[in-house]
Amino acid sequence: MRTARDRHHRLFAFLSGITAASILCIAGAAAVAPPAAADDNVITFGAALSTTGRDSREGALTKEGYDFWKDYVNSQGGIKIAGKLYKVDIKYYDDGSDAATSAKLVERLITQDNVKFILAPYGSSATFAASAITEKYQVPMVDPNGAAEAIFNRGFHYTFAILSPAKKYLQGILELAMTLKPRPASVAVLAANDKFSLEVAEGISDFVTKNGFTEVFYSEYPPDTKDVATLLTQVKAKNPDIILGSGHLQDSLLIMRAAKDQSVTSKVIGFSVGPSTPDFITSLGPDANGVMGGAQWTTTLNYIDPLFGNAERYAKLFEAKYHHIPDYHNAESTAAPETFQFAMEKAGSLDPAKVRDALAALDVETFYGRIKFDSRGVNIYKPMAVEQIQNGTHMTVWPADAANASAVYPLKAWGQR
Amino acid sequence: MGTALTLYLQVLVNGLLAGGIYAAAALGFSLVWGIMNVINIAHGAFIMLGAYASYWLFVGPMHLDPFLSIPLAMAVMFVLAYATQRLLVNQVVRAPLLTTFLLTFALSIFITNLAQVFWLSDIRSVTTAYSGSSFALGPITVPWIKFWTLAIAALLTLALQTFMTRTKLGRAIRATSMDVDAARLAGVDVARIYALTFGIGGALAGAAGSLASVSYAITPTMGDSFVVRAFIVAVLGGLGNVNGALVGGIVYGIVESFGACGSCFPGVHFLGEGFKDVIALVVLLLIILFRPYGLVGKATA
Repeated sequence: MRTARDRHHRLFAFLSGITAASILCIAGAAAVAPPAAADDNVITFGAALSTTGRDSREGALTKEGYDFWKDYVNSQGGIKIAGKLYKVDIKYYDDGSDAATSAKLVERLITQDNVKFILAPYGSSATFAASAITEKYQVPMVDPNGAAEAIFNRGFHYTFAILSPAKKYLQGILELAMTLKPRPASVAVLAANDKFSLEVAEGISDFVTKNGFTEVFYSEYPPDTKDVATLLTQVKAKNPDIILGSGHLQDSLLIMRAAKDQSVTSKVIGFSVGPSTPDFITSLGPDANGVMGGAQWTTTLNYIDPLFGNAERYAKLFEAKYHHIPDYHNAESTAAPETFQFAMEKAGSLDPAKVRDALAALDVETFYGRIKFDSRGVNIYKPMAVEQIQNGTHMTVWPADAANASAVYPLKAWGQR
Repeated sequence: MGTALTLYLQVLVNGLLAGGIYAAAALGFSLVWGIMNVINIAHGAFIMLGAYASYWLFVGPMHLDPFLSIPLAMAVMFVLAYATQRLLVNQVVRAPLLTTFLLTFALSIFITNLAQVFWLSDIRSVTTAYSGSSFALGPITVPWIKFWTLAIAALLTLALQTFMTRTKLGRAIRATSMDVDAARLAGVDVARIYALTFGIGGALAGAAGSLASVSYAITPTMGDSFVVRAFIVAVLGGLGNVNGALVGGIVYGIVESFGACGSCFPGVHFLGEGFKDVIALVVLLLIILFRPYGLVGKATA
């Protein structure tokens, strides 16, 4: 008969087996990857990204953007700093979509892996947490995905965001709405209660009151919500002209489904995050048609880039490598390390303080837009675009000078989209 | 009568229907916890696997309807859970609760990450021809998918209840949960009963996964939030109580739905979608305080 002691021995053997296996794996990985500091001809960047957890999809898009830049730069010979060519490499950790973990891993990148240049994690919460670390160690960080104002209102000097701030995210849709006939008037706002989404919602409210719209419904929801039926029941009762959702991809999908379930109709529906990703269209099929999204970038924007030529060429090269058209997460995540590159070339040095000063003084046009930072580290030039899904593809409908289609308005009835 | 009453009724129906998926998610979880005293954190990962099973069958050449793939998802998950119990959980099943908790927690992380490696973190969806269609009950809208989800959750509950009370195997399972040593003396093969129970729990997770696949985005991490709700619903309904999971699921759904309805109670500012989790958990606390054996269970000495 087996005793408790035996069982404990078996458990112990089992667990120690697992431990030994993991140690071997880690040791193996360490042996394969040469320590960053040892190679003088390589600049190593570091990033803690969400490979697992609820932001893993957005994290993967960010990583594609970073990796695309890395491979492109290396294929062109590298970065030239003070007459010497350097290859580039990026060291990644998985933050599990947890902001506190992200900050810890950034600290580890700086203190243990000797990384002197940080590429920001995905999302405002993680970037907020990580920026406290980069500030503490005076290591510059370029941020492609964290748009919440809260990140920049702490007097920090080492965080630089290339994207438009959160408040602007959905204002483009309202600007567009002002040009539509008959002009829509009432707005319903649904916001996830995280830093970024709440600021997007605040931006909507600001714009609404200044421009003659009325906000007829406003509600926040928890980020891991499973059921938004009751939220949409309440929206339906208010019968708004415009429904704006400020959340993330999965929430946007839930809201779209619940809206169809209950036949909630509006003339315009738009989301801060969701419509730009390929998954939105594959998930919803024809129901995705007519949906608008605030976009940091679209392939039709006409900017000249010293590295990739222009937005169109970037999109072509990207699609050849990853077999999908780059969405704005991809684009901004390529533009972030590119911004670092321009600053390093200008500084002519790999000293973090000098690179920081070069970032602060930078004024350059890239495929992603013109990049120049204010004293808080926010890009002062970049406008937001609006995309609308028409016949299963993304069309740019705003601003008017970059649009390649006019907006479908008002939205067709469910079942006819 | 008018729009206000319509609103309350619709919110009630929303909650009732949402309860279907919560009940389905909790059924197997509650069974395993009640019978084996194992808090199976990997239950969420099992639900995720069930959802992927339905997804692959739907997009594959057979183009199988997700509701029809439920038996297949259940069969696959039964085998997987049975094997998991035999190979892993059985090693520690009589160890303190924390040990099995940690083991299933690790298992959950392992399965989720394995899924991430093989299937990537792409968001997938099962969009059927009837997705988004609904029928009207007077002024109330009832989406077909949610209606069938609730109906199948009720059917699974009935089937499990019949199995547990009417069959010899079911009685052996209940006997084992009451007194392991007495059951063993009476000739019950306890190890096999445990594996069967875990297998049934897995099969029910598979069914919940199939049901979830039509309503939710399918990702490797989708199980995490289900396991949290399964935990709450299992405690609400009473551990191991088969009917309790259904009642608990529906009660949780309704409380959450009214908690989310800021417009139902004008002037009350602590209600609304942002507070619904708080309200649902306050209800859970109250039930633990006043009815620690759950809504359906009976007090025991």
